[in-house]
Amino acid sequence: MKSPFAYQPRSRPLQLASPSAAVAYLGALAVVAFLYSNPLVLAAAGVAAVVAGLLAGARRAVEFALKMGLSLAVLVVVVNALVVNRGETVVARLGDFPLLGPVDVTFEAIVAGLSMGLRAAVVLVLGAVYSACVDPDRVLRALRPLAGRSALTATLVSRLVPVAAADAARLRDAARLRGPSAAEVGKAPLARRLLAGSLDRAVDVAATLELRGYSLKAPRPRNRRSRSRYDRRFYAVAALLLAAAVAAKALGADDFQTYPGVEIGLGPATLALSAIVALSGLAPLRRKPKRHRPAADGTKTALYGSKSSRRQERREVARV
Amino acid sequence: MSELAIRRGAAPALAVRGLSYAYPQAAQPALEDVSLEVAPGEFVLLAGRSASGKSTLLKAACGLVPHFHGGEIEGEVQVADLDAIAAGPGELATAVGYLAQDPETQVVSTTVAAEIELPLEMRGDEPADRARAVEEVALALAIPHLLDRSVDTLSGGELQRVALAAALVTRPRLILLDEPTSQLDPVAGDELIWLLRRLNEEWGVAVLLAEHRLERCLAAADRVVAMEAGRLSFDGAPADFLAWARNADPALETPAARLFSLAGIDPLPIGVRAARQTLRGMGVAHPPNRSSRRVSDPHPQGPVLQVKGLWVELDRGEDPRDVLKGIDLTIQRGERVALMGRNGAGKSTLLRTAAGLHPPAAGKLTVDSIALLTQNPGDYLVRERVGDELLGDEGMAALRVVGLEDKIDADPRDLSGGERQRLALAIALAGRMKGENLPDLVALDEPTRGMDHARKGELVDLIDRLSGNGAFVDREATKSTGAAVVVATHDVEFASEFADRVVLLGDGVVIADGPMAEILSGGWYFATEVARVLDLPGVVTPEQGAAALREEAP
Repeated sequence: MKSPFAYQPRSRPLQLASPSAAVAYLGALAVVAFLYSNPLVLAAAGVAAVVAGLLAGARRAVEFALKMGLSLAVLVVVVNALVVNRGETVVARLGDFPLLGPVDVTFEAIVAGLSMGLRAAVVLVLGAVYSACVDPDRVLRALRPLAGRSALTATLVSRLVPVAAADAARLRDAARLRGPSAAEVGKAPLARRLLAGSLDRAVDVAATLELRGYSLKAPRPRNRRSRSRYDRRFYAVAALLLAAAVAAKALGADDFQTYPGVEIGLGPATLALSAIVALSGLAPLRRKPKRHRPAADGTKTALYGSKSSRRQERREVARV
Repeated sequence: MSELAIRRGAAPALAVRGLSYAYPQAAQPALEDVSLEVAPGEFVLLAGRSASGKSTLLKAACGLVPHFHGGEIEGEVQVADLDAIAAGPGELATAVGYLAQDPETQVVSTTVAAEIELPLEMRGDEPADRARAVEEVALALAIPHLLDRSVDTLSGGELQRVALAAALVTRPRLILLDEPTSQLDPVAGDELIWLLRRLNEEWGVAVLLAEHRLERCLAAADRVVAMEAGRLSFDGAPADFLAWARNADPALETPAARLFSLAGIDPLPIGVRAARQTLRGMGVAHPPNRSSRRVSDPHPQGPVLQVKGLWVELDRGEDPRDVLKGIDLTIQRGERVALMGRNGAGKSTLLRTAAGLHPPAAGKLTVDSIALLTQNPGDYLVRERVGDELLGDEGMAALRVVGLEDKIDADPRDLSGGERQRLALAIALAGRMKGENLPDLVALDEPTRGMDHARKGELVDLIDRLSGNGAFVDREATKSTGAAVVVATHDVEFASEFADRVVLLGDGVVIADGPMAEILSGGWYFATEVARVLDLPGVVTPEQGAAALREEAP
C-alpha cells in the first residue's frame, strides 16, 4: 500500500506551484508555529495547515498527520504534566514515584504541554502537506546546481524508501503464508532478508544510474525555472504571513504565560494575526475558470464573471 | 569515424568479436568465443534457454560487463564505433539503451517526466532540447498522458514503457532488451513488441531482444541468434532458425512451428500469418462452425473453494477501489485451473483473499486449507539451510512432495531457480497437509516469470503431481491425494499445457469460465498460437492441431 505521505501529482495550485513558492508558503506557516506559543495563534496555524492540505487534495496525508500529531500532542501533555511540578493550580497529587519524586499535576503544566503538543501537531501536518504536495524531483533538481551528488542521493532515497516499505510488506505477507510446520520467521531473519533485498535493489539502481549516464562528466546545464501562475500568490501569502508575524510579535501578540499562572493574551494584535494566519490556509484555493460561450455575434462572453460581465451578457441577450 | 557516418549507418550498431567472459569467482565462463554483428536498423532476436548467456551478452553490449560486474573479459565489443570494453556504461549511454526484465528496478525518479529527462540531464543537454526530446519520445511510445504521473501509480506495462522511453530518449543507435515482456499480460506484451518494431522501422534503431516466448516476437525479427552454454549455436533468418530448432533444440520451437512439424508440413511458419498463408496454399480449409471439443467436467470430487458474491476493496494509496466485484466461483478437488486476465484484473487479489491476506468487503469465501505461493518465491526463503526452513515430519513430508528431500543440507541460495520455487512451495505446504495428503487448494501466482520452456515443463509435471493427475513419483509411498491447483498466469501456452479449466477475469469480474480448450481457442489475446492459426474451437495445442490437420488434409 502506498504511503499516505507519498507525493501525488494533482492539478491543484499547491502542486502546480514551483517548489520554491510552495516551500515559502508552507515554511512561513511553520515559522509562525515556531515563533509563537500562544495557543490561539498555534490553533490558527493548525487550521491553516489542515485547510491548505484539504484544498490541495491531500486528505489522506492530513488525516494521518492529524492522528499522529494529536497522539503526539496528548503524549507531550501527559509527560509535561508528570515531569513539571511548577504552577499554582494543582489538579491532582499523585504521590511519590521512584524516579520522578512527588508528582503534582498542575493546570499550568497541562496548558504548557498543550501549547507544545499543538506546535508539534501543526508542524507534523505541514510536513505531511509538503510531502504529499511538493514534487521531490523538482525540489531536488532545484538543489542540484548547489550539490549535485547529494541531491541525486536524496532523490534515490525518496524513491527507495517507499520501495523498501513495499518489500517489507511483501516479506510480511510471505511470512504469514508459511505453513504451520515451516520454521517461524523471527524479526531478525526478516530484517536480514529485507536488508539483503534492499542491497540487491541498490545494486540494480546503481546499474540503472550508470546506464543513464551518471558517471559522465558532462557540464550540468542550468535548469529551466519552473514557474507557475500560482507562484505569485504563494510568495505574497508567505510574505504577508512573515510580515504579520514579525509585526504582531513586536506588538506583543505572543502574550502567553504558563507559570506560575496561565495568562493568554487575546488582544487585537493576537486576534488579527490569528485571523490572517487562519485565512492563509485558503491560499491553495482553486478559482473556477471563467466559462465562455459564444455570443450571437460569434464573440465569446464570460458566463460566470463579474457583475458587470453578467450585466453585459444580459444586455446582449436583450439585444438578440 | 564521424558522427554523421555513424548516423548514416556505416558502422555496425554492435560488433562482438571473440568475446569470452567469466563473472568473478564463477567456475564456468558465461560467454565463450562469441562473435556477432548487428547492422544498423536490424531487429535481432536472441534465443536460448535460461543461463545460456543471453543476459550477459546484452550486459557486455551496454558496458555493465565488465565495468559494473567485474570479472575477466577477452575479445572486442564495439557499439557504434565505441570500444565498449574500454568505455563505461555511462559513455555508451548515448549510443545504446538497455531495458531489463523488471521495470521496478530501472526507475530512479519519482515522476515519469523526471525519469525520462534524467539521461539528458546527465548528458548535459540544454533545457529546451530536453523538453523537446521528452515530448517526442513520450509521443512515440504513446505515453504523454503519463508524464505528470507518479511512477508508483503505474501498471507494469506502463512502467515498462516509461523505462523504454528513458532508454530511448537519447536516441541511441541500438536498444538492448532482456525479456521485457516476461511480467506483462499478453495484450501489453504484444503491444510492446510491435512498438519496438515500429521504432525499429521509423527511427532506424537496431534492436537486440532476448526473449523466451519466441512465438510473440519471431515474426517481428529480421534475424535470430541462438545461444547455448555461453556460445552462439545458431545465427540466421527466422525461418531457418525454426528448421534448426526442430532438430537441435525442440524446446526453442514455437507452437505454430511444432504444429507444422507434427503435421509434416513445410516450411515452418514464423508467425500466425505465415502459418495461415501456408495452410491456405495447401487448400486446407476449416468449417467455421465446427463443433467444440467440449470436455465434460472430470472432477466431480466435491468443492474445495466456494466463492459467492465476493467483493474486495483495496486501498493503494489513492482512493480505495473495488478490485473484485461480486465474484462467484467454485473449484473442485483435483481441478487444475488457470486464472487469467490482464494486469490488474484481480487474479492475485482473488488468490490472496482466499489465503486470508485481504478481508472480503462483502460476500463469502469458503476454503478449508490453502497453500499460496506468491510471485516472488525468494520472499519465503530466510534461512541458510533447506532443512532449517522446515520442521519435523510434516516439514519433511512437504519437502518430499516437491521432490527436494535430497537437498536438505543445501543452502537455498545455491539451488536453481526452479528448485528455489519448489522449496518455497514446500514452505507454504508444510503443516497444511493432512498427514501425507495435500491441502485442499494449492495456488501459484505467476510462477513462470522468466522461465524457459524446459523449466515450464518441470512445473507442469509438478502441477500434475500436486493435482493427483500425473504420475506422482512417490505416490505409493506418500499415499497422497490430489489438491485443486489454481495458477494465476499470463502465459497462454503454459496454461494450455497444465490446465483443464480456465477462469478469465476482467476488471474484477469473471468474464469467461470453462474448459481450457474452449476458452483458449475462443479469442485473440487469450488464445494459444495454434488456436490463432487454426481457429478451430477446442484446438489449442500443437498435438491437437496436428491431429486436426491430418483429419483435414486433402
